[in-house]
Amino acid sequence: MDSLLLSQYLIAGLVIGIIYALMAIGITFIYSIMKMINWSMGEFYMMGSYLQYFLVVYILGPHLWFVGIPISMAVIFFVGLYIQRFLLKPMFVGEMERKDEYATVITIAMMVFFRNLAVVLAGPNQFAPPDYASPTYIGPLPVSGNRFVALVGTLLILGLFYLVVRNTWVGRALRGSAQNRVGIQTAGVNVLRVDQIAFGIGVSLAAAAGALLAPIFLVWPENGAVATMKGFEIIVIGGLGSIPGSLVAGLLLGLVESMGSVLISPSFKDVYGFGLVLFLLAIRPTGLFGERQRVA
Amino acid sequence: MSIKATLFPIFMYAILAPLPLVSGEYYTHVLNISFYYVVMAASWNLIAGYTGQFSLAHHAFAAMGGYTSALLVIHYKIPILLGIPCGGILAGAFGYFLGTLCLRMRAIYLGLSTWAFSESFRITLSMSYKLTRGDLGLSTPRLLETAKAFPYYYIFLLLAIVCLCIMYKIVHSRIGYYMRSIRDDEEAALTMGVDTVKWKRFVFVTSSLFAGIAGAFHAHYIGLLSPVSVDFNEMAILLIMVITGGLRTFAGPIIGAISIEILSELLREYGEIRMVLFALMVIVIMRVNRDGIVGIGRTVLPRIRYSTTY
Repeated sequence: MDSLLLSQYLIAGLVIGIIYALMAIGITFIYSIMKMINWSMGEFYMMGSYLQYFLVVYILGPHLWFVGIPISMAVIFFVGLYIQRFLLKPMFVGEMERKDEYATVITIAMMVFFRNLAVVLAGPNQFAPPDYASPTYIGPLPVSGNRFVALVGTLLILGLFYLVVRNTWVGRALRGSAQNRVGIQTAGVNVLRVDQIAFGIGVSLAAAAGALLAPIFLVWPENGAVATMKGFEIIVIGGLGSIPGSLVAGLLLGLVESMGSVLISPSFKDVYGFGLVLFLLAIRPTGLFGERQRVA
Repeated sequence: MSIKATLFPIFMYAILAPLPLVSGEYYTHVLNISFYYVVMAASWNLIAGYTGQFSLAHHAFAAMGGYTSALLVIHYKIPILLGIPCGGILAGAFGYFLGTLCLRMRAIYLGLSTWAFSESFRITLSMSYKLTRGDLGLSTPRLLETAKAFPYYYIFLLLAIVCLCIMYKIVHSRIGYYMRSIRDDEEAALTMGVDTVKWKRFVFVTSSLFAGIAGAFHAHYIGLLSPVSVDFNEMAILLIMVITGGLRTFAGPIIGAISIEILSELLREYGEIRMVLFALMVIVIMRVNRDGIVGIGRTVLPRIRYSTTY
């Protein structure tokens, strides 16, 4: 095997891994604060990619694609805020029994709703937005321009996310409620409001992934299904509720998939991820960075 | 079992038997499919509603039963009526495996692992091309000579009634109490001497056995199997049926499965809007009355009775 080709696959794996991680961080972020799994995450990814396609093709024009991404993120952020407010907030108001069951049913219903709504509104066809950039080089290695742009975009978004969570007042409130929902209320933080913001940020990360990947994985009603699958694999590998875990696991998954397809066979690409999941669950049931689950 | 309880299923069979005479060929087919969904929904309610183990792999067990039976019949030429129980048994065995895997898991991890199980099963199905013909689909031998829906109606009706009787016996026996106690508070149930490990496994095995058998009957009726039947959408449809009818009630899944299946056939010309409407309905039901149609019936009927008597 040619070392140049091998390192090319290595780069491709790392690039795709870090974008998967964006999706997984959205899932794990919502989990760490609201303690629920958002099964409709892929549909927010899908909506992000549709918005981006719509903006780039009909409003902004192909040269202003980078303006489209923050706009679609912002729109999905507000969509997320209102969905949380009307559908998921009731989980925490009053005494609701069996919260996870409620969250699972509501988010699966949302998944069906948005998927079919997309088919109703835009048809079952695939759309391809224009390329973001022409092929470039990282050192001597050729990289697809779209993938390179997606990598840079993801790194920017993750950096921004890190700064917000690390330094701002909102970020402190978010981290506080992830640690202790009751304790943070004594500090005068409105936890229900924090939930809303967390859900908005989480789904807008998924939308960002969708918008960035639109020219690579195309735009169609069920394009979120694959993204959700990767996202869930990553959070199981990295450990639920751990953001560094998601990053590392995302990179690992990208590497394993890309190396598996070049060294073994590309047709089993989706199986390698599950193999990794099962292997890690066997040796470390809580994932790489997951805390041990407290019983009762 | 009292005479009344024995006679009721026979009575139901006799009442429903002449239905194909009025429904016509196409709606007889719809009824057959809805009886399949009745078994699926009711057995999922057993595990998710009564025991509180929110499994998301039920559709995978149905496909497992179907594929097992079809492959055995095709390759080993065993009679179909033997293949169907084999499919059920294999699904039950995998149910035991999955149940054991999920013993210690709480709600979120349980959902994720059962989901991962069904997704890997789907990928394996479409990958093992030589055996299952992958995404091309496997054409299965039919149970009867004919492809007409009419004779199958009696088979599916019998299947649904027999399965429902067994489930009714389980739910209204001591085991039913064990299941509900595990759902309501597992630690308390353990303290009271309920063998939670044993009964959780039991429920996993029973419900996947039902799913496997129903899936095998369905496969030998439709004549085609493909990995699409393990798509997550299939699970979402089951969930919509059970929630609409009423989770945790015995009549709920039956009402939900039949009404959603017939409604979706009546509205077929509107295409995907049906699913949008069903999803909205589920969201509204979860927000307003979490016991679905049965719950609405329970709150509305006494009021009507009250207002007519006084």
